[in-house]
Amino acid sequence: MNWQAIGLTAKLATLVSLILLIVGLPLAYWVAYSRWRLKFLVEAVVALPLVLPPTVLGFYVLVAIGSQSPVGRLYESWSGHSFAFSFQGLLLASVLYSLPFAVQPFAAAFSQIDRNLLNASATLGASRLHTFKRIIFPLSLSGIVTGIVLSFAHTVGEFGVVLMVGGNIPGVTRTISIDIYDRVQDLDYATANETALLLLIFSFVVLSGVYATNRQLWRGWLGR
Amino acid sequence: MTKAASLSIRILKRFTARHHEFRLDVDFSVESGITVLFGPSGSGKTTILECIAGLLTPDAGRISVNGEVLFDSHSRVNLPANIRNLGYVFQTLALFPHLTVEENVGYGLARLTGNERNQRISAILESFHIAHLGQQRPDRISGGERQRVALARSLVTNPRALLLDEPLSALDYETKSKLIADLRTWTQDHRIAVIYVTHALDEVFALGDRVIALKDGRIAEKGTPAEILGKERENLIRELQQVGSR
Repeated sequence: MNWQAIGLTAKLATLVSLILLIVGLPLAYWVAYSRWRLKFLVEAVVALPLVLPPTVLGFYVLVAIGSQSPVGRLYESWSGHSFAFSFQGLLLASVLYSLPFAVQPFAAAFSQIDRNLLNASATLGASRLHTFKRIIFPLSLSGIVTGIVLSFAHTVGEFGVVLMVGGNIPGVTRTISIDIYDRVQDLDYATANETALLLLIFSFVVLSGVYATNRQLWRGWLGR
Repeated sequence: MTKAASLSIRILKRFTARHHEFRLDVDFSVESGITVLFGPSGSGKTTILECIAGLLTPDAGRISVNGEVLFDSHSRVNLPANIRNLGYVFQTLALFPHLTVEENVGYGLARLTGNERNQRISAILESFHIAHLGQQRPDRISGGERQRVALARSLVTNPRALLLDEPLSALDYETKSKLIADLRTWTQDHRIAVIYVTHALDEVFALGDRVIALKDGRIAEKGTPAEILGKERENLIRELQQVGSR
């Protein structure tokens, strides 16, 4: 089994989840509570990776961060190496690709909170940030956990975007799914099977964990 | 004992929904003691409270408490709800389900230090006879107890006025009477202005020092409960006579 690819994938998925927690929470808050008439446009952009072929998303990210683009040139002059086909480039693409898997569960959880709880918090003198920390965050915890776990698992399983943006560089951008593909190309079915089985078990455990956690959280607050 | 309070309210707000326009246009002021806003569903009672609390923005008007302007469309003043320092008890009570009774009641005291905060919480829990429920979650206590928690939570911050949106509508007569007595005691001791929204006649009689009757977004009558209900009765008798003479 290619432990280097497994380690790299775990690192990528952890960083993607962390970034999506930081970026996704305010974005989901805005999506859930904004009254802007054109909000649906932002919602559509966030949801795009759900329906877009990964190669299309990967292609545009590649164009956007390639050495011909302003972003790519700026990054290259600052860091000394190319943005495309680097771990950082792969990280950016993965964050964009998993965005709806975090933002949608977050926003759905925020929207389900009784509006009067937020109004009550405001009339008791709490700022929006305080309300978020004390009311919205704890009451949306199951949705937040779901979003984080789904984006982690989704990143672990991504293939097309990685191939487009990251290429297949061992130790830099070769993730588990790329490794499985390589093994199959080499007709090394035994190793491919080992890694594929690992991914299958991982995905099952993660999803079971999400459903079990959500149940316990709800039972804790509603039943007890 | 705090200084006597007053609220001055002028609100104009329009809503349009499915080709139907609702227009709220009211101008009144209230002093310390309980003023009941009485009227049928859809007469604009809750909208008035939400505008006063800063949860809704009027299209035009002016709202002030003890002389301080909270909203003024002319001078473009619109203080956010969290700095108005007005108590609000929602019809659904809106107790935070994941916090204990003590945490709910102490929610508005985040700026106080631990000791002072605990003292204030204990005192108000005692006043509303819910000290024994401090560690319970809202879903583990009765309807009447939840009402007491909601009242205590809104009063513990020493608000400049108290806004109550049909908080007792779901209670039985006995529980309601006890709560009304506690509320009366509190408002007399603290001399704050209370606006109590209801469509229940028994609450108008039991609570109101003054009554403002609303109809279709406008003030139909003002006066003591006896005066208002006298007029209500006259109107009813007139309507019945008209039906009888047809």
